[in-house]
Amino acid sequence: MDKFKLKIVTPERVVLTDEVDQLSVSTTSGQITILPHHLPLISQLAPGEIIVKHQNKEVSLMAVFGGFIEVLPDEVIILADRAEYAADIDEQRAEEARQRAEAALKEEHVDSEQFAMLSATLEKELNRLRVARKYKQKGMHNLQ
Amino acid sequence: MPQGAGDIKRRIKSVKSTNKITKAMELVSAAKMRKAVNKVLATRTYADLTWELILHLLKKIDAKNHPLFRETKEVKKVAVVLIGTNRGLCGSFNNQLARKVAASIQLHHPESTVTDVISLGTKVRDEARRLKLNLIADFPKNDITQDSSSIRPIVKLIFQAFVEKKYDKVFVAYTDFMSSLRQMPHVKQLLPFSTEIDERLGHIIHEKEENQKADLAKISEFIFEPNQAEILNNFLPRLLEVQLYQAVLESEASEHSSRMFAMRNASDAASDMMSELTLVYNQARQAGITAEIAEISAGSAALS
Repeated sequence: MDKFKLKIVTPERVVLTDEVDQLSVSTTSGQITILPHHLPLISQLAPGEIIVKHQNKEVSLMAVFGGFIEVLPDEVIILADRAEYAADIDEQRAEEARQRAEAALKEEHVDSEQFAMLSATLEKELNRLRVARKYKQKGMHNLQ
Repeated sequence: MPQGAGDIKRRIKSVKSTNKITKAMELVSAAKMRKAVNKVLATRTYADLTWELILHLLKKIDAKNHPLFRETKEVKKVAVVLIGTNRGLCGSFNNQLARKVAASIQLHHPESTVTDVISLGTKVRDEARRLKLNLIADFPKNDITQDSSSIRPIVKLIFQAFVEKKYDKVFVAYTDFMSSLRQMPHVKQLLPFSTEIDERLGHIIHEKEENQKADLAKISEFIFEPNQAEILNNFLPRLLEVQLYQAVLESEASEHSSRMFAMRNASDAASDMMSELTLVYNQARQAGITAEIAEISAGSAALS
């Protein structure tokens, strides 16, 4: 079966390098799925999830926040601001972080810059939570 | 106890405790250096791929019109970001960096009023002030930079200033970590972006697989989503951030290794001093004993 190289990196570390069958990501213009021999593409990532189908039929689910995706003829590169495996997300802590962000947003003396930052944090934590819960509910094998 | 020996003993004790401190600091710095080096290595993949992406882009589209690539013929106003340390005790680290900047300002723009300096780290700020550089902003620096978000305010500042044409060029001055024995202050151009990859930045043991280069000829056209301009506008600031982040990490690795060596030298000097003082102390003690024996024997001779 055809495959392509996939690299997921963040400024802090290399999250994944592997040869995979299929990849789904959410971009700012909607969710896309990339199969081998995709046309060259450059797009921006939206907060969301990455679903990778490995060659051994295993599936990885990741929460991703911001960044870019570059599709080359035989290679896909994801430059994410942040990416983590769903299994690594501590749901309780994510929930706490979400609540903190929400509470901070409600405070009155928030200038526009802080507001933007807090909403981004909130969005990020919500996304992590969503991905973590999805992972928990369905288990890894039923993600398709 | 003979005269003077007590003082010497006290000094030996104080040197000994100093030695202990410097030794501990050396070990701490060594650990921090290892950490910092690992971080530079971890960021490198990201930085390399970011550069690759921009190079792919530049081959396919004409980005020369983008404000961040704007080259002015006459360079009037220049900004330098100075990345130093918060703490001292690291030899001439900050001093060398500030001097390097002052020297390059002297070299390229003798009338130094046109060069604005932005400092990161309190020690290097003081150093810049001492050299009478034109300091316009100072940012607090974390001892260990956790992620790239901590340098975002600086990126924002220089980005805006550059886009508003306040500066014609922006440089970053940091200390290049060549090996744990060698660090070099280095001034590098950040903006406008040059289309050449800088091999120096983040190059610790740079083993890049040459054959990995994607075959660009095969790519006829990129699809851009949502569109070219938006991708560029969002991507280029990111590139700037990555470069600055790498410079900060590199500086950190250099800082800790230069502190480690400063502390090692201090420990060595303390050991030398201790052995010298011990010698003097023993001599004084010996002289005291000799004098005492002489007194006793003189006394008994007088009695008999």
